[in-house]
Amino acid sequence: MSDDKPHAGGSIEPGDTSQRVGVTTLEERGLDVDELIDKLKAAAGAEFTTYYYYTNLRMHLAGHEDYKEITEDARLEDRAHFELVAPRIYELGGALPNDIREFANGASCPDAELPVPYEGDIPDTEDLTAEDTLEVLLEAERCAIRTWNEICDMTEGKDRRTFDMAQRILQEEIEHEAWFVELLSMERDGEINPAGHFVRGEPGEAPYSTNRRINDSA
Amino acid sequence: MTTYSVEIEVPDEHDIEGVDPGGSVTVEVDESEYVLAAARDQGVWLPAFCQQGWCTTCAAEVLDGDLDHSDAKRYYAVDAQAGFALTCVATPRSDLRLRACAEIAMKEHREANGLQPTP
Ligand code: FES
Repeated sequence: MSDDKPHAGGSIEPGDTSQRVGVTTLEERGLDVDELIDKLKAAAGAEFTTYYYYTNLRMHLAGHEDYKEITEDARLEDRAHFELVAPRIYELGGALPNDIREFANGASCPDAELPVPYEGDIPDTEDLTAEDTLEVLLEAERCAIRTWNEICDMTEGKDRRTFDMAQRILQEEIEHEAWFVELLSMERDGEINPAGHFVRGEPGEAPYSTNRRINDSA
Repeated sequence: MTTYSVEIEVPDEHDIEGVDPGGSVTVEVDESEYVLAAARDQGVWLPAFCQQGWCTTCAAEVLDGDLDHSDAKRYYAVDAQAGFALTCVATPRSDLRLRACAEIAMKEHREANGLQPTP
């Protein structure tokens, strides 16, 4: 047993289902699994709430069908990220909160709200521009990039499965940021600032993060 | 451009790249810079997650000095009164002394005040 891995000699009795080698081996490598679970729950909350908020943002890109389509890709891919993270939380011995409000409040990124006042249940869209909406989308993607980079840092060299998942989600979040940089540059500043965005094979394809398709949209 | 000296203390039990556990380090931060970004630029890898003033991962206790939190997405008057800073979006308004790694304390403070998040 090395000094760096003080618990590396631990063992689990054959047939014992009270512990998971998939977790104890992470602790042996010095990973704080409880802290990781908290971070993954927060990140899952961000993906899930972003999926919700993008639904609303996308509605309000009416007339900008190209922007709507790209927002739809980002929206569905964020849902795919949630679907990917959730099982990992349970594998590690954690669970999603029972209360969705607790889940949303603990999200690692701010609410990506429609940037206009709401009068009762109806948003006041009089002054809403595509540019306003693209700015919200851009900042949401930047928050996602920061959080997944932090999870990559935390797990690199210690938790290969979470690292692999996080870095694949990160790849898509970086693409999403690039798309919105491209769109906002043109919409707001009249600048061509290409990001290499091309239509996905199908909406929400999630080319890096999809492990296995459980249905056509996740 | 005014630059301020920000002394950052790190509690014993925390392992922050760029500063000894239980030690302190001083970084220089422009009035327009966020404390976290300036510290990281100078090799002090303070904890962070959202970097939008929302999640409290970057929380620090303010031992001395003033900060501006106008860019924070979720920061309450009682947070300032209780002496908590979100270093990811806070800009200095004076020389500062901070104690890093206050996420748990800040979450407990929020919870005690009925504020979100309450995980
Ligand atoms: S890193 Fe989230 S509030 Fe600062």
